[in-house]
Amino acid sequence: MFLLWLRIAAILYGVASLSAFGAVLGQRTFWRRTCFPIALSAWLVHLVSAVEMLVLAHRWMPVGMHEVQSILALLIATVFLVIALRYRTLSFGIFALPLAFLLVVVPALGPDQHTFSSPVIRSGWLLVHITALLAAYAALIFSLLASSFYLMQERRLKNKRSPGFLNWLPPLDTMDQIAQKTLILGFHCMTVGLFAGSIIAQESVGPAYFADPKIWLSFVMWGLYVVMLFVRRSTGLRGRRAAFLSSLVFVVMLCVWAANLFSSVHRFSAP
Amino acid sequence: MKILLTGLNHKTAPIELRERLAIAPEELANETRALISHPGVLEGLILSTCNRVELLVCYEGGEPELADYLNNRFAVDTQSLQPHLYLHRETEAVRHLFRVAASLDSMVVGEPQILGQVKESYNAARSVGAVGGALERLLQGAFAAAKKVRTETQIGSSSVSIASVAVDLARKIFGSLEGKRVLLVGAGKMSELAARHLMKQGAGSLLISNRTQERAVSLAQKFNAHVVRFDDLHARADEADILITSTGSPEFIFRTPHAQQFLHRRRNRPMFIIDIAVPRDVDPEINRLDGIFLYDIDDLQSVAASNLSDRAREAQRAEEILEQELTRYQRRLDTLDVVPVLVDMQAAAEEIRQAELSRAHSRLQSLTPAQHAAVEAITRGLMNKFLRQPLRALKNAARDGDLTAVEAIRSAFSQNGTAQAAGAQDQREPGRTSDEPALTVKERND
Repeated sequence: MFLLWLRIAAILYGVASLSAFGAVLGQRTFWRRTCFPIALSAWLVHLVSAVEMLVLAHRWMPVGMHEVQSILALLIATVFLVIALRYRTLSFGIFALPLAFLLVVVPALGPDQHTFSSPVIRSGWLLVHITALLAAYAALIFSLLASSFYLMQERRLKNKRSPGFLNWLPPLDTMDQIAQKTLILGFHCMTVGLFAGSIIAQESVGPAYFADPKIWLSFVMWGLYVVMLFVRRSTGLRGRRAAFLSSLVFVVMLCVWAANLFSSVHRFSAP
Repeated sequence: MKILLTGLNHKTAPIELRERLAIAPEELANETRALISHPGVLEGLILSTCNRVELLVCYEGGEPELADYLNNRFAVDTQSLQPHLYLHRETEAVRHLFRVAASLDSMVVGEPQILGQVKESYNAARSVGAVGGALERLLQGAFAAAKKVRTETQIGSSSVSIASVAVDLARKIFGSLEGKRVLLVGAGKMSELAARHLMKQGAGSLLISNRTQERAVSLAQKFNAHVVRFDDLHARADEADILITSTGSPEFIFRTPHAQQFLHRRRNRPMFIIDIAVPRDVDPEINRLDGIFLYDIDDLQSVAASNLSDRAREAQRAEEILEQELTRYQRRLDTLDVVPVLVDMQAAAEEIRQAELSRAHSRLQSLTPAQHAAVEAITRGLMNKFLRQPLRALKNAARDGDLTAVEAIRSAFSQNGTAQAAGAQDQREPGRTSDEPALTVKERND
């Protein structure tokens, strides 16, 4: 049944993406009115699907790429809805909703054949680890989007005779606030996620775990994150430089994700 | 009911004449009362704004002399009034009203106030009982058309005056203007206007600096603002989020090093600088700095001009929407015209059904209540099925404006005609019972 809900959610995300394009780029009132309700319905159906999926499996954490993808999409949609409510802007929808749609499409096609079969996944700490890191990824995606919008809007205002098709860009101050807040949220989530991961590693593998490239890259990313937040806070860094810093953290984050390929210990499939 | 609209506007009459005919909002109801007591006028409405005075009336019979009404009420002789008046009848009057309400006939196309003014006139007219069915339908049609134009086009979304362009740009930078501080350097008329506009839109506080301290103080009193001594200008300019400058200085007052200091002290919070002075007060190089947004008078004017051309483009789309709305309005009117015919047809058919039932009463006495109900249902069903096609044809004919067909159906089914036909048939065939149809379709065709 959860697969059916997920399929409905995927369709609704697709419709919500189209309505976001109509609302933001086409500036159409009808789509402006319908985009949020459609996205909210997609999110609700998706939430039902996720809860049902986890309840059926008698566990509270996603195992396997399909489930991880689905939960990441759910978190991205959540951040989008919170921003839309708080800042009254649908602009993020043109990226966030299609991304949620793409992330959900594959899991919606059928059940995952490859799940993580390691017994470690039964640990409660892993739930905290995975959820917190997925939330951090979702927050960082929004921070990067907000920074990009900031740059586009800044350029538009500086050039003065700017093209009308960028009218939809939200105000600079809104972009700055969203970038800043999502960055801090991402930092908190990442700290919690890494802390939980470290506890699991200490218990299951021991010190050898920390010599793994995936693991030390994660800590490098966390360190970079701290530096960036410090610089931003202390100098009031905004605009282009802040956007470049956010992008740098995002790229490192992608590297950490990709480093799974080279990791010998951060693997949870059956041998 | 016929519709007539007359009046003058900024395109047809000079301000001297318009101001003589202008009606204060509190006088609008009384004037409308006077209008509907003018000979021949059944329903009426007066629209009076700074750019137009228009009388819209519904009448039957001879056309009312509205120029006489204007002459009597405002003591403007008809000879001098006549060349400036326009007169629209029926569809043209409806089209004109739709265009006015949608702000396509305004001096600044797309300005939003006009719809509110039309609604005020409507409320005033309603309050004195000057709005009947015809005017109600017309005005509701105009409001719906105006709303559609607003929502489906971008006609009113961009600013076309320097002051409102400045406010728009400030919003693009700061989001909300609430709590933002504005610094006015120098005292020009346009900079004052821009500052006033910003304050009206929610800017938090105003600082004023002028080379002549007395002038700054008097301006500050006028705006309830604080004065910054001109000598302290560079030390305190960073307190402002929006800086509007318009001094007569022949040299730049603000250069890149100043702006760098401002940004440093503001911890890189953005600053919007509007330079209205000619020659300019601010070095244009400042705009290269991250976080500084500098607009001079030419920049503001070019944004306003580009917005104006956008509006002109949107106005084309708006005209198309209005034409569709006009057609829809006319169709609705035509459909309304045939409503009495529809009612007549149904009443006539029901009369025949009842007559036939009562004639058969004696033979139906033996029926049980359930059988009676069945007979009732069958006869009613037959009647409805028989009527369905002609009713649909009538509605379609009305919608398509096919008056010949409407008339044909009207005469064929008018209550008198049907009753007479039924009566005549009864006289011709006195022995026939209701069970025996007078003529079948086939027999009639033969």
